[in-house]
Amino acid sequence: MDAKTIIDSLVNKFQDSLVDAKVDSDIRVSAYLEPEKIVEVCQYMKDELLFDHLSSETAVDYPKRNEIVVVYHIGSYDHSVLMTIKVKLPRDAPEIESIVPVHWNANWYERETYELFGVKFNNHPDLKPLVLPDELMGDWPLRKDYEGFPNRTARNLV
Amino acid sequence: MDETVGPSEMIVHLGPQHPMQPGPFRLNLKLKGETVVDGDIELGFIHKGIEKILENKTYLQGIPIVDRICYLTAMTNEEAYVGAVEKLADIEVPEKSQYIRVIVEELSRLQSHLLGMGEFGEFIGFVSMFMYTIKEREEILSLMDMVTGARITHTFLRFGGVRDDLPEGFKEKSVAVFASLREQIADYDKLFNHDEIYKLRCFGVGILDSKTARDLGVSGPALRATGVPFDIRKDEPYLVYKDLDFKVCTATDGDIAARINVRLEEMLEAMYIIEQCLDQMPSGPIFFEDSLYGVRTPVMRVPEGEVFHRVEDPRGEMGFYMVSDGSDKPYRVKIRGPVFPTMQALPPLIKGTTIADVAAIAGSMDGCTSEADR
Repeated sequence: MDAKTIIDSLVNKFQDSLVDAKVDSDIRVSAYLEPEKIVEVCQYMKDELLFDHLSSETAVDYPKRNEIVVVYHIGSYDHSVLMTIKVKLPRDAPEIESIVPVHWNANWYERETYELFGVKFNNHPDLKPLVLPDELMGDWPLRKDYEGFPNRTARNLV
Repeated sequence: MDETVGPSEMIVHLGPQHPMQPGPFRLNLKLKGETVVDGDIELGFIHKGIEKILENKTYLQGIPIVDRICYLTAMTNEEAYVGAVEKLADIEVPEKSQYIRVIVEELSRLQSHLLGMGEFGEFIGFVSMFMYTIKEREEILSLMDMVTGARITHTFLRFGGVRDDLPEGFKEKSVAVFASLREQIADYDKLFNHDEIYKLRCFGVGILDSKTARDLGVSGPALRATGVPFDIRKDEPYLVYKDLDFKVCTATDGDIAARINVRLEEMLEAMYIIEQCLDQMPSGPIFFEDSLYGVRTPVMRVPEGEVFHRVEDPRGEMGFYMVSDGSDKPYRVKIRGPVFPTMQALPPLIKGTTIADVAAIAGSMDGCTSEADR
């Protein structure tokens, strides 16, 4: 299965919700997606296009554009094309449907994205902090406007 | 995990400090008698915030930081980071440097597998195994020391090349080290696969079938032991791997013994790859003369863009997602380590086994908490 076929199939199926779908190279394709469609697209890719390996899921903060972009890298165990799906969310209340029902290992990636960026994943089975202590919840350390030291010194945490 | 316990059930915490662990994490187990009913993992005891640190360092300053994600796989971490920057900035690497990189990365694979196997031996109560493998690992480390000047955190790769050429006498020394390691691997095979106690503890225990492994998102030797030939070096060749002859080692059983056997085979393959590289080593520079980057330019600006670069770590798929905004520091770096999904897959894997097998199964997955936490 090559990159061109994959992107054509996706554009045909999800014409209205895919924006800027393009082939970056032989093994990389990317697209922006409307937030509502994420579970449906992941399910379609898994069932029809053999994208069964969620390689990573993360977010990027763009304070100037007032956006948080959630980035999904979905690959396959059977072919070497890797798809990058980007979803733009408003920065003040980022919320998106969880893809755990499709990709089981999204669980920890979503917990991590939640605690570091404050993106809320709806219908996630167990949305709680993974690597951060509870005291740091709500600070969203990987956002660009995080002040960090010294507003959270060890003394303040005690 | 549901914390309520029924009759004859109890909760046991393994860790955050425990001899079976490769680093601090907590494994909560709900037991009924000796059987594991449920389990979950708590991370965060060694969270270093490396992704945030990298945002505040220039590209060159990032190289020593990525070494410290996990010291066992420092070389492949560097390759993933440096390779991502090279793709973003469109920097070409001379062929000679590519060969040197393959050599050091395969050496890194050898020493990682050796330590992993020694630790695994310790977990199943075979402490001498650790002494055997650590002796051979020290030989490999001294080979790496010859090339990079450091045993574990090397800071050896540069954008567009490597720091130094191979030293005099490297080839001769590697021949001697590999000859002894090959003998040792034959011995490890005997010690493991022809031992009655090992057979009882490791054959047919902790079975992961290929469908479950795919669903859990596992990669690396743990996945290949289930029969899925997924290897980034073949699927998405980087450096000169496409010119080299090597096979993807797989097994079919998916149990503990299969994972160990895949690693033993991979060590033989790694030595074979290094020997090919030493034979085919082209002459030429380790940096292109007109390269803007490399050792002489501490400050470099990388064009705007983003990339997801994957390499094959000793434990599986290592990826760097890097976003650049055109400045001298990365805008965002996401490290996709192989151990993160592997550790996530541990609780479903140990469900239904006995508590005595937990350490053996966890050891055979070859985890590293430092990398999972970042």
